[in-house]
Amino acid sequence: MKRSDLFALLIVLIVLLGLPAGLFGYQALRTQAAGMRVIDITARKPEGGGFIPDHLELRAGQPVRLRISSPDVVHGLTIPGLGVNVDEIYPGKVVEVDLTPDKPGRYAFACTRWCGIDHWRMRGVIEVLGAAGEALPTEPPPLYQRLGIDLDAPTHPAHATPAAQPSAKEGVALNVALPAEVTDATQRRTLAPVDAFQRLRDDPANAGLSDDDVWNLVAWAWLKDVKPNALARAETLFARDCAACHGLDGKGGGPAGVGLPGMRKMDPTMPKGPANFTDAGTMLAASDVLLQGKLLRGGMGTGMPEFGSLYSDEEQWAMIAYLRTFLFRK
Amino acid sequence: MRETSRQGTSRQEPALSLPKGNRAIGTLNAAPAEHRRFSLRKAQWFAGGVTIALVLAALLAPLPVVGAPPQEQRITISAHTFAFEPGTVRVNRGDTVVISLESTDVVHGLYLDGYSISTQAEPGRPGELRFTADRGGAFHFRCAVPCGNLHPFMIGKLIVGPNLTWLRAVAASLIATAGALVVFWRT
Amino acid sequence: MLRGRWLQWGITVFTLAVFLLVIVTGLFGTPAGNHNFGIVYVWLVWWALLKLLLVPLMGRFWCSVCPIPAPGDWLQRRAIITPRPGGKLYTVATKLLRRPGSAGARPWPKLLRNIWVQNLGFLSVALFSALILTSPLATALILLGFILVSLLVSLFFERRAFCRYLCPIGGFVGVYGQMAPVAVRVKDPAVCASHTDKACYVGSDAGYGCPYSNVLQKLETNTTCSMCGECLRTCNKDNIAFYVRMPGADLLDTRGRRLDEAFNGLMMLGAAFIYSVVLIGPDGPLKVTARAVGTPGWFIYAAALLAFNLVAVPGLFWLCVRVGQALTGKPKAVIGQFAARNRKRESLFADYATVLVPLGLAIWVAFTLSFTLTNLSYAWSALSDPFGWGWNLFGTASIAWTPYLSGMIPYLQVPVLLVGLIIAVALGLRTAHQHQQPSVAALPVSAFCALAVVGLLTLYMA
Repeated sequence: MKRSDLFALLIVLIVLLGLPAGLFGYQALRTQAAGMRVIDITARKPEGGGFIPDHLELRAGQPVRLRISSPDVVHGLTIPGLGVNVDEIYPGKVVEVDLTPDKPGRYAFACTRWCGIDHWRMRGVIEVLGAAGEALPTEPPPLYQRLGIDLDAPTHPAHATPAAQPSAKEGVALNVALPAEVTDATQRRTLAPVDAFQRLRDDPANAGLSDDDVWNLVAWAWLKDVKPNALARAETLFARDCAACHGLDGKGGGPAGVGLPGMRKMDPTMPKGPANFTDAGTMLAASDVLLQGKLLRGGMGTGMPEFGSLYSDEEQWAMIAYLRTFLFRK
Repeated sequence: MRETSRQGTSRQEPALSLPKGNRAIGTLNAAPAEHRRFSLRKAQWFAGGVTIALVLAALLAPLPVVGAPPQEQRITISAHTFAFEPGTVRVNRGDTVVISLESTDVVHGLYLDGYSISTQAEPGRPGELRFTADRGGAFHFRCAVPCGNLHPFMIGKLIVGPNLTWLRAVAASLIATAGALVVFWRT
Repeated sequence: MLRGRWLQWGITVFTLAVFLLVIVTGLFGTPAGNHNFGIVYVWLVWWALLKLLLVPLMGRFWCSVCPIPAPGDWLQRRAIITPRPGGKLYTVATKLLRRPGSAGARPWPKLLRNIWVQNLGFLSVALFSALILTSPLATALILLGFILVSLLVSLFFERRAFCRYLCPIGGFVGVYGQMAPVAVRVKDPAVCASHTDKACYVGSDAGYGCPYSNVLQKLETNTTCSMCGECLRTCNKDNIAFYVRMPGADLLDTRGRRLDEAFNGLMMLGAAFIYSVVLIGPDGPLKVTARAVGTPGWFIYAAALLAFNLVAVPGLFWLCVRVGQALTGKPKAVIGQFAARNRKRESLFADYATVLVPLGLAIWVAFTLSFTLTNLSYAWSALSDPFGWGWNLFGTASIAWTPYLSGMIPYLQVPVLLVGLIIAVALGLRTAHQHQQPSVAALPVSAFCALAVVGLLTLYMA
């Protein structure tokens, strides 16, 4: 074979063999160069598998790089317990997150961008084992469990509802001393607003106040301890996680909620679909701890996801307070 | 030898008096056979010129814009995989258009050709586009956020005002056809 | 330089490398088409190059640098650059299945010496196109299939039989290539008539015979010529050259046209309309059905597509030709003897189908413009991150999607369509005259062309 042909053949072989070798080699090199454990996570639409893998085992103190990519639609990722928040996992692009978990425990992670009807099912768990491989600490049970509240018991609608929208500002202007069961957070949380209304109404000291004034007091009691940044955080979370089903206006008409049974699954007299937070009859008859329970546990075939694994304590109570603002004005 | 190339009924061509020698590139400039000849008479050139002038007039001549007085139009476009609902939106020239994009399943976007503006939306978080429809014609709008495999073909149409772009193009096509028929009628 | 082999080889190695990258990224890269090198560089970059530049300006030139036949060529020639003595080609058949008296390679079956398989091939690709265009894996598999079939065919059959008779792209690239302003032709046919060596077909020490089995003496259209220049190299009379000429010169003689090429023109026209309705239109469920290969809905869609392409469009065109014939009584209608007339190439229908070449090319250019300018910006990120694995080889990975010239698209499409329409109508009249028909006979076909253009304009802009 002539020299020119040999040269040409060499080039062809270099291309045919060298190109794939170079490409895959480069990827291997990148993984190597990370200097730490690299875990590839694929975020697919839930009907295509959700997060793959959805269960990770890490060791406390060991840095790890998560390489997250999506083959289909835009997803998001939040690992609240580890402070990871990726707002956008764009199809075809890779997001790299370096983290070093320090405390052993179970950390839930979830998708934060609506990616289909079953988006809320798109969850996973990271188990961080201690350096010595000790058992994971158990979490204390949430308030509603400690109080033994039955989340699914049929509730009676509030027997009294305000005529006008109660305002916390007008409540505080009335300058009335409120009883401890309403001012103390722990006690108030077990009380339904309508029952608080009744207690205040029945109190002879308040006989001179109109019904609207008493409702204003209730509004003030519920909203006085809520910090503005907590409400802002709750508003962001509501838009991100709740509005798709409950609607930005809270009325339960969001596009992702269409077809969900809601409370009708357990009580045929209830309206179908996601809860309407502007309905005074149901909302005022529910105590904060009851709402917290539903938020944390979800489920029971209603279509409501569980958020207990994703929201911190502060965030949970902030969300409940935000729900109250659909009926109470600040 | 195998019969391989295209051949019609036997056709003898006169020798092409072309440059011989080492030139590898040249111009086919000799007189071809009768059926391969192409030339136009003066009258045909004239008719052709008139046709082109009319076509250009149809395409470019400024026309007074007549239509309804501009108003504000609020349109809700619902995006789902892989279509927009409604698929065709009509507004009038000069209208202030507010498009509210709502998504029913995943994160979608909307990019408007010609106006080059875009927004995005997902269930629970609608997006909004606000603009003045000062350019007339037909503009496609496309999904601007990858939403699955057929995403590049998630397309809708915005028609602004009397659809002059389409009308002019159709008029020009018909004039061109008629003109070509006139020019080449007699050969 | 044009006669040298290094430039052509260099370009081919480059296209082969790109092809390999397309396969590898299609098989192993992200399924998200926008950020997959395979999808972006085949269906956006290469398609735009092919339809907007290569075919209108250089005819079937792509075929001369296409990577698909390259390995087969090299194996047949047992050389990458230097031509073998006498331009001899080897095929496995030469060794294994040598039959006495044969040249070694099997001749391509006479029944398939046409572009019908290519027509059906393109139609098949069209049936699955909603899937292929949006799935990197499907693209990779189909291209892998092409190169394997090409390789297999070249091991047994003569020359580039795959390119000439099987490749779906080759079919329409050849037919539309007739519009190109360049051509390879013999300089003086008298020279050809007077010598018997025919190195242009048989080969010589200087090069191989035409890979597309063309006999240069009889080459009159660009349909089967990829301008690879092999004939220029081997002709020992130096009687062949590249020519610049009037675009569409191949169509000036509308007589004796082939039915398979006519059908290609019709089918491509139908395909452009189907794509415009399904892919560019607003109907989402239709697109999803078109992609859901194997479902009952898809079979209905496939049946509709086939009926439109194989029956409706050809039927309408045939009707237009027939009406023209009936209106004027010329040429005398011949009933029957279909096969004989086809063999002798006396089909008025096929002759009128020359109008579909400029018309179809213009419509395909318009269709290509409707999606390539919009999505070409993906080429930047796909170059830096071909697999979608988070690379950034050239720093362009984060360039976001930006439609280019989005407002200009109609202003580019309309002139192209008008030019195609004018040439088509002119060609229709010329066909009538060359068949001794009065001009009135061409009116139905002219109406067909006008209808096609107005229909497309309505789909895009109304």
